[in-house]
Amino acid sequence: MITRIMSLGRRGCDLLEALGRAGIFVAQSAVGVPSREGWHLWVRQMHFVGVLSLAIVLVSGLFIGMVLALQGYTLLVDFGAEQALGQMVALSLLRELAPVVAALLFAGRAGSALTAEIGLMKATEQLSSMEMIGVDPLRRVVAPRLWAGFVTLPLLTIGFSVVGIYGGYLVGVEWLGVFEGSYWGNMQSSVEFVGDVGNGLIKSLVFAVVVTWIAVFQGYDLVPTSEGISRATTRTVVYSSLAVLGLDFVLTAVMFGGLS
Amino acid sequence: MSDTPFVVVENLYFSRGDTEIFRGVDLSIPRGKITAIMGPSGTGKTTLLKLIGGQLTPDSGRVLIGGEDVHSQSRRALFAMRRRMGMLFQSGALFSDLSVFENVAFPLRVHTDLPEAMIRDLVLMKLEAVGLRGARELMPAELSGGMARRVALARAMALDPELILYDEPFVGQDPISMGVLVQLIKRLNEALGLTSIVVSHDIKETLTIADYVYVIADGKVMAHGTPRNLDVDQDPRVSQFVHGEPDGPVPFHYPAADFHTDILDAGGRR
Repeated sequence: MITRIMSLGRRGCDLLEALGRAGIFVAQSAVGVPSREGWHLWVRQMHFVGVLSLAIVLVSGLFIGMVLALQGYTLLVDFGAEQALGQMVALSLLRELAPVVAALLFAGRAGSALTAEIGLMKATEQLSSMEMIGVDPLRRVVAPRLWAGFVTLPLLTIGFSVVGIYGGYLVGVEWLGVFEGSYWGNMQSSVEFVGDVGNGLIKSLVFAVVVTWIAVFQGYDLVPTSEGISRATTRTVVYSSLAVLGLDFVLTAVMFGGLS
Repeated sequence: MSDTPFVVVENLYFSRGDTEIFRGVDLSIPRGKITAIMGPSGTGKTTLLKLIGGQLTPDSGRVLIGGEDVHSQSRRALFAMRRRMGMLFQSGALFSDLSVFENVAFPLRVHTDLPEAMIRDLVLMKLEAVGLRGARELMPAELSGGMARRVALARAMALDPELILYDEPFVGQDPISMGVLVQLIKRLNEALGLTSIVVSHDIKETLTIADYVYVIADGKVMAHGTPRNLDVDQDPRVSQFVHGEPDGPVPFHYPAADFHTDILDAGGRR
């Protein structure tokens, strides 16, 4: 019994210590805001984590918008409310699906790659050698990746929403014959810029910070062996997904659930 | 030997978890010489280099470089201090996304405002010194192990440091690359007036270039002296190591139960 309590306490302490390390890590890295000299590093990382994630995010957005319209139509048409399809597709995407699914895809596509890349740099002593050259790897390697993630995920989320709404239009209007005026008109009258678009963007910014933080920290803190890299990459995807889904509930409760 | 030591390690204690790695190590590294730190694998030689370079912090004790305590520096001051040192990692640790030229140019680009033409000249001079000027456009993945280490050496020298730390420079090298590296370390040290610390367990090669040798075992300095002194040292542990005898005071076998008991009374256990 005592041993169990002790091991529980030890785990608690380990968890707190890891959180503390992660906090110090992100604070030390995030102060490395892209400067004039570091601009090209930042742009390169934006390309790596953002532009290269564009295809998977946009294609997923298109299909999710199309499926939403298809499912929504079959439900709404029973009540003769298929004119509200645009409103349904837009609100589902802007408030929930775009921030959450884009963040999950980002964690799988860019987050795991960030962990593996930084982890491999650690395993091959590239980070140590950078330190010995007198260059702080937190500023040179971690900060550009961190800031690239912070900026690109909200942009990807916007792309996801736009393409998803267009996907809904393709299925709803072009295929199933919903009146085009009501698809766009209902959407325009019901979507609020601050309440829906703004809150969705806040969500995606929070997810961007959390997912990128988890990804770069897992890479920087891993045990530098092949097994360590594989475990850390898995952890990035698992922790990021759980954090995104958990935080989504909290944020939704605050933003739309009347808790605010 | 110069009077004032350049690097001084005083009463250094360091442990990882419950394992004590150093228990009171004292070293004095003279300026302008090649000092070798030797010892069996697993005695923490690389750890010692990382302690000297400030990448690890000791439990107690001090490391002084040019009279300045490495571990009492702020993060910024420590990074500034490291510009005066170079370190050659065992794996070379070249940046895999940069070409050979860019790897050597890296320290110059981040620490100086030199014009591009001058950076080019300096990089080519460093690469010429290690015989790899022709390989400047190659990527690290296209280099052999020996070439990678020579490029890393050129990069470590890029800022003309006062101190170079070599971590197992001869491991896994064929005889030709080994000979090249031995000559390079010796020649560069003489030509540039560097202070070099070579961590190695390749006795023959290291003793040919070292001016002074420390042998570390069991977390302490077991012996020190010039290569000639160590060669005739009567201490059985030193003698075993220097002459590469497989068994002696440092046992061949990892501690285990009696062999016969282990074989005969196993009873299905592993």
